Amino acid sequence: MENHLLEIRDLAVAYGGVQALWGVSAHVDEGSIVSLVGANGAGKTTLLKTIAGLNRPKAGGVFFAGKKLSGMSPEGVVNEGISLVPEGRRLFARLTVKENLELGAYASRARPTYKESLERAYTLFPILKTRRTQVAGSLSGGEQQMLAIARSMMSNPSILMLDEPSLGLSPLVVKVMFELIENLNRTGVTILLVEQNIYQALKISQHAYVMKTGKIALEGSGEQLLADPDVQNAYLGSLE
Amino acid sequence: MLEYLTVGLLLQLVINGILFGAMYGLAAIGLSLIFGTMRIVFLAQGAVIVLMAYLCYWLFTLFHIDPYVSTPLLGIIALLLGAGLYQVLFRRAVRMEDKNISLLIAVGLMFLLENFMAVAWTPDPRSISTSYTSSSISIGTLDISFTRLLGFAMAMLATGAVTLFLKRTFVGKAVRAASEDIEAARLVGVNPHWVNTMAFAIGIGLSGIAGIAVSTTYPFDPYFGFVFSLKAMIALALGGLGSVSGALLGGIILGLLESLAAFFISGGWADAIGYAVFLLVLLFRPEGLFVRSIKKA
Repeated sequence: MENHLLEIRDLAVAYGGVQALWGVSAHVDEGSIVSLVGANGAGKTTLLKTIAGLNRPKAGGVFFAGKKLSGMSPEGVVNEGISLVPEGRRLFARLTVKENLELGAYASRARPTYKESLERAYTLFPILKTRRTQVAGSLSGGEQQMLAIARSMMSNPSILMLDEPSLGLSPLVVKVMFELIENLNRTGVTILLVEQNIYQALKISQHAYVMKTGKIALEGSGEQLLADPDVQNAYLGSLE
Repeated sequence: MLEYLTVGLLLQLVINGILFGAMYGLAAIGLSLIFGTMRIVFLAQGAVIVLMAYLCYWLFTLFHIDPYVSTPLLGIIALLLGAGLYQVLFRRAVRMEDKNISLLIAVGLMFLLENFMAVAWTPDPRSISTSYTSSSISIGTLDISFTRLLGFAMAMLATGAVTLFLKRTFVGKAVRAASEDIEAARLVGVNPHWVNTMAFAIGIGLSGIAGIAVSTTYPFDPYFGFVFSLKAMIALALGGLGSVSGALLGGIILGLLESLAAFFISGGWADAIGYAVFLLVLLFRPEGLFVRSIKKA
């Protein structure tokens, strides 16, 4: 086996009798940014949720640094060092900003470094420090997304998975969000990104997968895929 | 009837209503915790309260232990009972995520407890009478029953303790987070069974306190619990889910309403008005009277 930080092997997932993933294989190398792109319903979110332990695969497996993750509970996965920023942010809206961050460090791996992690979150997002006593539900969309990312970072993950972080944000905030993801990556966090904003996502990715109806349709470096005529026609048409 | 009404009498009605309403409030907090984390409508809450009242009665009549002395013991028994009920009866059902199964288990448990109590203690109403049962504190023309006042004080203390637990402790925060979004809570590492066990233990623990308060102030029988559960649900609807002080306040308002309705209309109408208010609140303010709506993230 090659030395990939995260390896997904022949993964098949079904829910409610409908199969959502059909033999998906992919990998994420340490320190890289990897994107999953594709149309709605292609299985991107399912794949992230399966890695995070929210779905059980019916075949295949997920391996993290050689260790089998599939079959573990979400609590177990986050404790291994993989954290998901779920689609729609899923903050604890009635809890304060600070409480959301505290809970981000709930996993036992995160507790010893809680103070440093909180410091880092406030340095990365000074606005969260200002708003720390406000309830999360009262933040703006952009601030909520920042809190969602900061909450996930509180567990000190090796891999941060982001599901549609730019969804519903203004173009200016989207730009900030992508810069932020690159910055996080520079600090050594491996990123697995699901995005509708395909152009931006491919631009910052070392490697990317195009998913279609539950399978990997295409893979390559971000640049290769940006230049690929099929990708351009199918997903980037509006840019021309 | 109005010709008898004096300010003193009105105050008396208000105080009685508040004191009894706090019992509804205690039961409602328990329901709120259990519903919040597991979405289980725990209809057996009232039956558990009555069970605790019987245990208190037993300790008093068999072992001559004063009800207020047995409070810590019953509190601990109730906490353990709650944790046990979750692990034995609800853990699997919660994992199946079928709310109907949980509701049926709760109803089954309620009937089981009712019938068990009817066999163990006969269906005759019981009450605890201590040397201080009929004593009261007089302020001007007002008479405030000593045991009711103590029951109220215990309700306030218990509510305060639960609030502190939920707001200040890490586990308490996890319980609140899980009540909002169990999946998101799991993603940060919260073990759902642990928070569910906590919520059940505390919810049932409160019924221990409520049981003592009820047994020292009112006669009770094995079937008293179901109505109590319904009243707690009304209190919860009034107060809004997910707010401990709201649930207590909801209970107090219901107690007040019943007390006033029983005087101004007639005793028989008190319950009907309680349920009518329940329906009205659900129709026009389903989020509860005291919950400021927060737009969901």
